[in-house]
Amino acid sequence: MTKEAVIEVIKKNIAANSDDIDAATIDPQKSMKDYGANSLDMIEVVSTSMRELKIKVPRSELTDINNIDDLAVKFLEYVNKGNG
Amino acid sequence: MADKALSFSLADFFFNDSPDVLTPPSDFQSWIEHPKIQSAMGLFGQQLLCAPRAGTEVLSSLDGKRHKVINMTSYNYLGLSTHPEVVQAAKEALDVYGLGASGAPLLSGTFDLHVEFARRLAEFKQKEDCLLFSSGLGGNVGAIQGLLRKGDMFVLDEKCHKSLIDGGTLSGAKMLFFSHNDPVSLEAMLEKCKGKRVLVAFEGVYSMDGDLVRLPEILKVCAHYKAATYIDEAHSTLMFGPNGRGVAEHFGLEHDIGVSFGTLSKSFGGVGGFVCSNARITAYLKGYSSPWNFSCAPSPPVVAGMMKALEVATRDSSLRDLLWKNVAYLKKGLRDLKLNLGQSESQVIPIIIGSSGEKLIQFAYDIQRRGLFLQPVDFPAVPADSRRFRISVSTQFTNEQMDTALNIIEDVIAKGLRA
Repeated sequence: MTKEAVIEVIKKNIAANSDDIDAATIDPQKSMKDYGANSLDMIEVVSTSMRELKIKVPRSELTDINNIDDLAVKFLEYVNKGNG
Repeated sequence: MADKALSFSLADFFFNDSPDVLTPPSDFQSWIEHPKIQSAMGLFGQQLLCAPRAGTEVLSSLDGKRHKVINMTSYNYLGLSTHPEVVQAAKEALDVYGLGASGAPLLSGTFDLHVEFARRLAEFKQKEDCLLFSSGLGGNVGAIQGLLRKGDMFVLDEKCHKSLIDGGTLSGAKMLFFSHNDPVSLEAMLEKCKGKRVLVAFEGVYSMDGDLVRLPEILKVCAHYKAATYIDEAHSTLMFGPNGRGVAEHFGLEHDIGVSFGTLSKSFGGVGGFVCSNARITAYLKGYSSPWNFSCAPSPPVVAGMMKALEVATRDSSLRDLLWKNVAYLKKGLRDLKLNLGQSESQVIPIIIGSSGEKLIQFAYDIQRRGLFLQPVDFPAVPADSRRFRISVSTQFTNEQMDTALNIIEDVIAKGLRA
């Protein structure tokens, strides 16, 4: 799996969790907060994305993530090592 | 999973993929049964065997035996849960009214005690009216769920209590969190709310950090955007302000706040919550606040005890003075140990130890072994890089107890962090 594919999963889940965001307009260099997500929305997006990618990353490893791209890098690390 | 059990926390098992609703996630089961997690979890829910005084006894999970401990965890800030006058008032009410209210407030649960206590609380908080709730969490949930609807905006400080978040979730309003105590971030959030009904919530004293709301700056932004305001004074009522009315009184801004909430389980030493505001909105809330109108009214003897607690705490400043004396003594001792106390400005004093969950749990067991009951606060209750202990200072602490506690904290935490 590529990082771009992981980003697409995250973008899709951000859009699915919001009434007014089109996945195509999401910039991975931005944070979910920039798109109006609150911390509860972020938990939802992270959880649904992890389910789809069949990985489990401890939340404690996500506290320093600053944007969607960084999140995808972390997810990819777990995808490549075959889950958590 | 088993090898890295301590990397995981309760934050990781909220969503359950098990096909059977009555079966927890399979990885949750293996996590919770891991010896290290079992050991950590053993710290929580230990039984107190007598009143939550500064000196109490616990059934320790260290050895399953009864141990005398110095209690720095209970939030019996003013010692009122065991104050002789408070206990006597509750006993007398128990004889007259029995144990429970046996009814919801609108039907048969409203006693003369409830009416009188609510009247006194409203007067105390300088608001027109007050609603009493059987739980503090229920008060916040009920007020927010009763005030807001789908299409409204609920803007909260990111460190607000779970009860406010749950109230927001239940209300259907869109929630936006502003960076902690940051008026610039609040302004950015309120810009997104233009044209909508907005409520902004913040706390007087933040429960995990002990810092105060930057009230003048926050209210200035709210006024500019004509946003309604809600203050949670759970950890500040009876302690802050010249008359103990809370942080809003401390800043001289009580009349600029729409709703004032407080709990009755902390400084009051009982249990419950109360919401003070103008009489038109409390009348409205009675119709739409489920934890108020679908819950049994607060227990009459507890109400009688808390009414006495209000009287005792406000007849003069002696309890507040004693609390702040103890806070100053303990903070000086902790600062001398070069511990990180965050930005605490109150009787809530965190000792921030950093990112190691293992150290946190080890320290917790070691201090308890030495006779100090001071519970750890782990991620996700606090950020993963600032796990901590949280001291709740009480008027009941003696200098001797504080000195003993400081010695234990020095030996275990201060030296442990340097090791």
